[in-house]
Amino acid sequence: MSYYFTILSPTDTPLFNIAFGTSKGGGDGIARFRFPDTAQYMNQFIIHSSLDIVEEAQWTNGGMYLKHIDTYPPAAAYISAFLTPSGARFLLLHQPPQLPSATPTGSSSLLNASGSATRASSNSIAANPTSPQTEEAVRQFMNEVYDTYVKTSMSPFYKQGMEIRSPVFRGRVTAAGKKWL
Amino acid sequence: MTSPGDAAPVKPPPSFSPGVPRGASKSRHPEQRESTASLDSELAESRTESSPTPPLSATSSELPIRTDSRTLRSSTPQLARSSLGSPFDAQVDGSDDLRSVITRSFSPTIAVYASEDTDELVRNKGFKGGFGELIRPFGETVPGKVVIRDSVGASRAWEDYGVRFVDLKGFGRAPLGRDARDSPLTQMEEVLEKHLESSDISLSGSIRPKDALGLPPMSPLCKLLFRQLLSATHPAPHETFGHPVASVIAISSRNTAPLETLRQLYAGSSTGEQRLPDWVHQEYLRYYVLVHDEERDDFDESTKLYDQMKRHFGLHCHLLRLRSSQCVVTDDDSIQLPQSEWLSPLERLSGAGEAETLVDLDTDGTPCLFDSDVTAIRTFIRELVAQSVIPFMENRVAVWNDQVASRRRGISGRFMSMSRRWAGFGSSSRSSMTGSSSGSSGNYDSAHNFYQPDSPEAVLRKMADFAFMLRDWKLSASTYEIVRSDFGNDKAWKYHAGAHEMCAVSMLLNPMAMSSKIKLENVDQMFETACYSYLTRCDDALHALRCLALAVELLKSRGGTATESAAKWAMRVVDFGLVGSVGQILFSERISACYASKVPVSGAKWGARRRKAGMWSILAADQWLKAGKPTLASACLEEAERLYADVLENDGIFPMPEMQSFVDELRHAVKMEYLGSRGFDNTQDEPASAIETLGGLEETSEKLVRRNHRRSLIGLPTQLDTGALNLAQGARDAENPPNDDFERA
Repeated sequence: MSYYFTILSPTDTPLFNIAFGTSKGGGDGIARFRFPDTAQYMNQFIIHSSLDIVEEAQWTNGGMYLKHIDTYPPAAAYISAFLTPSGARFLLLHQPPQLPSATPTGSSSLLNASGSATRASSNSIAANPTSPQTEEAVRQFMNEVYDTYVKTSMSPFYKQGMEIRSPVFRGRVTAAGKKWL
Repeated sequence: MTSPGDAAPVKPPPSFSPGVPRGASKSRHPEQRESTASLDSELAESRTESSPTPPLSATSSELPIRTDSRTLRSSTPQLARSSLGSPFDAQVDGSDDLRSVITRSFSPTIAVYASEDTDELVRNKGFKGGFGELIRPFGETVPGKVVIRDSVGASRAWEDYGVRFVDLKGFGRAPLGRDARDSPLTQMEEVLEKHLESSDISLSGSIRPKDALGLPPMSPLCKLLFRQLLSATHPAPHETFGHPVASVIAISSRNTAPLETLRQLYAGSSTGEQRLPDWVHQEYLRYYVLVHDEERDDFDESTKLYDQMKRHFGLHCHLLRLRSSQCVVTDDDSIQLPQSEWLSPLERLSGAGEAETLVDLDTDGTPCLFDSDVTAIRTFIRELVAQSVIPFMENRVAVWNDQVASRRRGISGRFMSMSRRWAGFGSSSRSSMTGSSSGSSGNYDSAHNFYQPDSPEAVLRKMADFAFMLRDWKLSASTYEIVRSDFGNDKAWKYHAGAHEMCAVSMLLNPMAMSSKIKLENVDQMFETACYSYLTRCDDALHALRCLALAVELLKSRGGTATESAAKWAMRVVDFGLVGSVGQILFSERISACYASKVPVSGAKWGARRRKAGMWSILAADQWLKAGKPTLASACLEEAERLYADVLENDGIFPMPEMQSFVDELRHAVKMEYLGSRGFDNTQDEPASAIETLGGLEETSEKLVRRNHRRSLIGLPTQLDTGALNLAQGARDAENPPNDDFERA
């Protein structure tokens, strides 16, 4: 499972980006997306396009954590979202690992995704991106990041809308990722 | 001439008299003429539209002058694809109704079986394919309104009704001889590529027209793909759309033994070597046509013969008066034969020269017809359809509905089918399951994979198809609904898939039904089942693709939440790899169009899918560029910019850095490729200079615009004049020469 986590300001400007892989079940914490290295912009495209759904879901869903809101089937990418009261949005793209037999172009089908899920059943989170366990894990992760985010934005040197460059914040997000995802 | 007694062995056609008075039919209605005339003018119009534009307009469109403030940032060459289509696009664009395309694609099939002498007569007129080729294009649009009565007795008039003529001689046998490489899908891809190549050169600067919502209509290429998909399927046992509803048996006045020939033709079509395959219901309408040669034969003789025919065969006869000499373009009243709209991919490939004849009207690729012939054929087809075929079909639907379907509706019918199913389980002996025809229902021939045409399941399917072709979608949906579970029980997977597909399609076509979300889920489920059965159980990619394409277009036209499932199905097509490389790009465009057609909730800013639509457009542009089609790529890019314009805070600037750089690179690459393909200086080893020239070009063009806005044309010569005189003066002064002159004076 590979993750791409983004914090977006209310005006859709990215405040923070991080890509990481799973550390559960013997994972090494390195992101391996299905796109070739030259096409990493796809993550941003997918995240950006899912803002359409976030905008819709934020009016119909009362909670801060919107759960899994969107899918990009060609790359089996799943998007979960979290809203903060200040209007910033946390978006997490998660992508189950690709089977070695699948086509390397990233156009592998959903069938492959589910096939890989059954095989990697040792880890419940990687097994099924829409399962309750995954939702719960993402929720925990989001809450922890939100905690850190609030503390960071309280800093007197941080103005709202600025990019977050704090290495401490990055470290904490990485730690949360390691802990929950 | 045979006497009436001789013709006694001719079996009267097993048809149902429609009970329409014969007398009115022969008079030619004036409004009918009018409608044909308007048809012709429309066709001529569309022809002129597709003619190559003069180079002047093409060059004027090269300058990337943009006036729209929103899209000012984009400097991609503005292009459009409106010139790429066939003449028929213009016709469809007028109504811009995909539903019409879909309904017309499922139109009744009429087999044509002409005697040798008739074919000979028509061949003299310049039609190599004989009688069938002559009347085929005219059948696709029946002139005037066709009134159809549905199962509850309400009648409705349709403007766009049509039938398809096929040759009886090659029916159901054509596809077998081909090797696997030439499957319809690969042929389709070939046609698309050919079309791309032929149309890439001739570009016009016109902008695609937008419809009321500001959404561009389906691009001609997508339309071509869609049409091909709908016309690519061959007659198959599991759906009866390709099976003949009627057959036209034609003889000519040249024939020496007309009734004897008719008898032979009838016998040949029902028992002889022209007999249809076993899975086709053999009971179809026979329609007898006497082609009268206006130039060589005596009309009185023909009338006499025609009267005789009427006596023998009843009402289903027609006397068609044609001139036998060949018509050339230069003749006064010559009319070019309209091109057939529903050409299968194979026919398109074999008739590759047609693309040129569309552009150059002077070439003699398409044969011409006399005006009188055209009118005669149109009258014939109208009479055939409105007075024989439609009543026949209505009658069949009513009879089958009464005899077969009503037994299955209601409580007792359900109980019967249930008990039968349980009985199958109850006996449960393996032998009965494996026995040749004693499976769960016993009617499915699992060795040959078809139902006998007179078994209740096949009749129900045929009845539903008839209702579908008569556009009674409510009845067809409910009939498919009855029969689809039967097919599943019999493990007749292709039938199973087809019934699910058509059930969903007729539900979506029915304008009354389907308002609630639950039904939408039902429809989705049916498409899912159909797709699974086609692909996994039957390995029939063509039908699966057709099913998915229908799902995409129909769900998209539903609007609302249905557009999202439309996009989902389109993604599924791309995912499954059902289409080739060009098809993939076209489906990416369709996904974008699906998302773009979702409009926001009234009064709110949210609910639209602009970002998703924009993303897919960008991806399509990227793919077009990779396929070496910069013009199409730039059209997609432009579309993407239009879509993103609403959602981006700053004009055209993406918030995410990697996205921005990707889009910038894409824009640049498209521009380079495009200019390169247009013959501009585009040396790969010196990209910097190319950029410079490009930048210069852009700047000058913008300056030009500004000047035109600021200054009147009268001011220009004086400015030049004074500029030449007062060289020493600064540029500031040169800007305002009139002041100088004024002071001096």
